[in-house]
Amino acid sequence: MSQNIEHQNVKELHEQKVTWKGWLSLLFLVVCFSGVFAHSDSFLRAFDLTALLGQFGHAEGAKVSLQGTGGSGAREAFVLALTMAPTTMIAQGLIEVCQHLGALTAAGKLFQPFFRVLLGVPGVVGLAFVSSFTSSDVGAFMTKNMADEKLITDDHRTIFAAYQYAGSATINNTIGSGAALLPITLLPVGIIIGLIIVVKFIGANIVRFYLVWHHRRHPEAE
Amino acid sequence: MGDVKEEKTLSIPEYFMLGAKKGFYITVELIAPAMVMAYVIITFLQLSGLMPLIGQALGPVMGLFGLPGEASVVLLAAFFAKAAGAATAASMYAAGVLTAEEATILFPACITMGTLVGHFARIVLVCKVRPLYYPVLLATPIIDAVIVMYLTRFVLALYL
Repeated sequence: MSQNIEHQNVKELHEQKVTWKGWLSLLFLVVCFSGVFAHSDSFLRAFDLTALLGQFGHAEGAKVSLQGTGGSGAREAFVLALTMAPTTMIAQGLIEVCQHLGALTAAGKLFQPFFRVLLGVPGVVGLAFVSSFTSSDVGAFMTKNMADEKLITDDHRTIFAAYQYAGSATINNTIGSGAALLPITLLPVGIIIGLIIVVKFIGANIVRFYLVWHHRRHPEAE
Repeated sequence: MGDVKEEKTLSIPEYFMLGAKKGFYITVELIAPAMVMAYVIITFLQLSGLMPLIGQALGPVMGLFGLPGEASVVLLAAFFAKAAGAATAASMYAAGVLTAEEATILFPACITMGTLVGHFARIVLVCKVRPLYYPVLLATPIIDAVIVMYLTRFVLALYL
């Protein structure tokens, strides 16, 4: 994405409207990934990622699916990686659709009034915040541009960079890079993503307070 | 992410298929290589007899998080790449070195502190953060990972 488009994005931030589709798709993503209906007996189970993922079939008489039992080493790794394709495909597909419908913009709007409190940065970072759910690079470019444009101060830049750096592109990395652990984890993937976002805020606040401490210690440097 | 203008012309099913295609490529380009590498390393550590030694040496440190010493290999792999960390944890679970609970605790930690140096370049350097703050920023994901392991342990206790 060119820097000019990024530039425009920052300026368009406040004009961006979240439609009912955005809110509904955000709700869908949260419900689907959080596993709230995983054990439901009703039609609601249709709104669960694991249920939609389904099962591999078994060969007649076999006890296990595709992967087999007793495998080891690189061969086992390869077969296991192949069994993960449906997970990453369905998750990325749903995210792509919901992102298009405005789910992540809605999430940004939801957080926008709280940026000042949660991170000590102005609400103008909203769009970069939203991008940082699914991309490592876009948010970083936007942050640099906002600082260049003096929309945010140098301290805001540092705090917000710290937020983006830890667990970057949280959603995509958790379901993509973390795919190997999706069949093993005892917590729904939505909760894992939620926990990562919580510590991202904690880490950014550590930097926030470090900066306060640093400026007090070196007032002459400002 | 991609080209905004191009995406505007797609229909909803096309968006889904675009995402699904991305997901397939993630499996082929990212997960499969990481899995093969992780399984080969873990198999090597087991066949060579190094795994129990690592477990003993780092047991006291990892014990602080309720994890066996062998879990340090997962975090070391995650340092280089998130996917390698996750794949290593998965292969250790398959080998019976880690329990599902321990793998769950390591999961968010791998994502939080994973690809530490690579993403430092892609995010902190691109943001043009003052070099003075580099050490603090480099430490942040590691601190976050420590916190998230405790947090996950706590949530796991509530959830199960």
